[in-house]
Amino acid sequence: MIDLSLDLCGVHLKNPVIAASGTFGFGREYDQLYDISLLGGISVKGLTLKKRLGNPPHRVAETPSGMLNSVGLQNPGVDAFIEEDLPWLLQKDVAVIANMAGSTEEDYCRMAEKLSASGVHMLEMNISCPNVKEGGVAFGVRPESVYAITKAVRACAKKPLMVKLSPNVADIRENALAAQEGGADCISLINTLTGIAVDPRTRRMVLHNNVGGLSGPAVRPVALRMVWQAAQAVRIPVVGMGGIVTGEDAASFMLVGAQAVMVGTANFMDAYACPRIVRELEAYCAQQQVARAQELVGTVRVNG
Amino acid sequence: MEQTIAKVLRCEDIAQDIFLLELSAPGIARSAAPGQFVHVAVPGAGANILRRPISLMGFDAGTGTLSMAIQVKGEGTKRLRALHPGDTVDVLGPIGRGFELRGARRAFFIGGGVGVAPVRGALDAFSGACACEAFFGYRGKAFAYGLDGLSCPVHVATDDGTLGEHGIITAPLLRALDAGAPDMMFACGPAPMLRAVQRIALERNIPCQLSLEERMGCGLGACLVCNCKVRAADGFDYRRVCVDGPVFDAGEVLFDD
Repeated sequence: MIDLSLDLCGVHLKNPVIAASGTFGFGREYDQLYDISLLGGISVKGLTLKKRLGNPPHRVAETPSGMLNSVGLQNPGVDAFIEEDLPWLLQKDVAVIANMAGSTEEDYCRMAEKLSASGVHMLEMNISCPNVKEGGVAFGVRPESVYAITKAVRACAKKPLMVKLSPNVADIRENALAAQEGGADCISLINTLTGIAVDPRTRRMVLHNNVGGLSGPAVRPVALRMVWQAAQAVRIPVVGMGGIVTGEDAASFMLVGAQAVMVGTANFMDAYACPRIVRELEAYCAQQQVARAQELVGTVRVNG
Repeated sequence: MEQTIAKVLRCEDIAQDIFLLELSAPGIARSAAPGQFVHVAVPGAGANILRRPISLMGFDAGTGTLSMAIQVKGEGTKRLRALHPGDTVDVLGPIGRGFELRGARRAFFIGGGVGVAPVRGALDAFSGACACEAFFGYRGKAFAYGLDGLSCPVHVATDDGTLGEHGIITAPLLRALDAGAPDMMFACGPAPMLRAVQRIALERNIPCQLSLEERMGCGLGACLVCNCKVRAADGFDYRRVCVDGPVFDAGEVLFDD
């Protein structure tokens, strides 16, 4: 019997597989296919203080082994989430992580207060949404602003605070450290890499927003490198993501230092990706003769 | 809804750039409704990671088969065309809000290009319950399909005049409407056609359902990438094409100019 469980900043996860924000709604759609209590956690669709309509179509473009999206934070607003979606989600035996995006420090603080008063288990501060001007990315690029926004929101939040880092930065180690010094309880990375798609036949940009965020297997090597670098730079737990499709992909992220992983785009490829990855990770541990999955964390053999 | 490995029964060209894919997927066939679609994974562990939403042209709960007409457009549909009988393909479905007859006694079925497929599927499903009249438009004779075995009045128009009348399908549609309006219209096709049908339906106050298409992600309503604009009290709102549609009432859809 393999022990897949972990304690992430005081929150118990039965396994390290978390559905990534923006790919899983508030869990209801996937619960039609399988019991979402099979997962360690769910990071809900990014929330803003007020309802947002998001960007006009097209919002998605397939790219080699990946995809670009520019949804633009369409969501019903934090109050509607707490009233209409959260009660259902809390009936499930799964850690609920509230992903929040804002355009001002005050937005983040007000959301952190509202969500801290709700039943969510953890907050994930998205300071890296590339798809709206006010998606927090302004806070996510320079280490000084990562530090400042983390410190401010940490003071308003009464739940564990995870800071989701952007990969579109000069040195991921500095931003990871800045989040830690600002008081983050853990960090998650990577958010999407910015990119564009062009339709040569129509000579137009594919995405209405022109620029979107690249995700899927295409980004996995970059994500692994950044998680590896960030995990060495900080003492706080790291949640890794970027193109995870299989249990071995998840294990790779754990080997380079992630305590838990998030699965996003893979849900579109295989609607059962998350529970399958849990099973595959368990099988991997058995095959590697690892009794506790957490024993994998940070044990990659690095060449001298 | 289920995600299943379906067996390919037929995969063959039925018109220029359009092929018929027939699958054995009993669970999906049992619960499918006209106008719904399936989300088909591109075969092979290749670089095309997103599923392709494909409308059902037909489904048979008895035999457990699904049939669809697919236009070869890019790498994904090319790889689907390369399937052979006996191969398998990963299919999620049935998905979405389909066409609804709503007690109509006489209905018009308006399709353009690859959009003929779901409309023909609805015609076959509803023909026992209402009087049908078909209006199918194509680029030319080589591109025509979906006309076999129709026992109702059929109007055909082609862009180049090689089949039926020369011009757009709304020309015979308007003549037929002048002769007597139906109590429901169903339409799927390119945006200019849908826009024209919507305008006609609203001007003449005829109930009408439009099947829309958009690039999709999950196909479950979770990822919010396949949005379309609908009327709302304060201007517009977005709906998910995958699960709020793909069929919408003509009166609610807002097309961008």
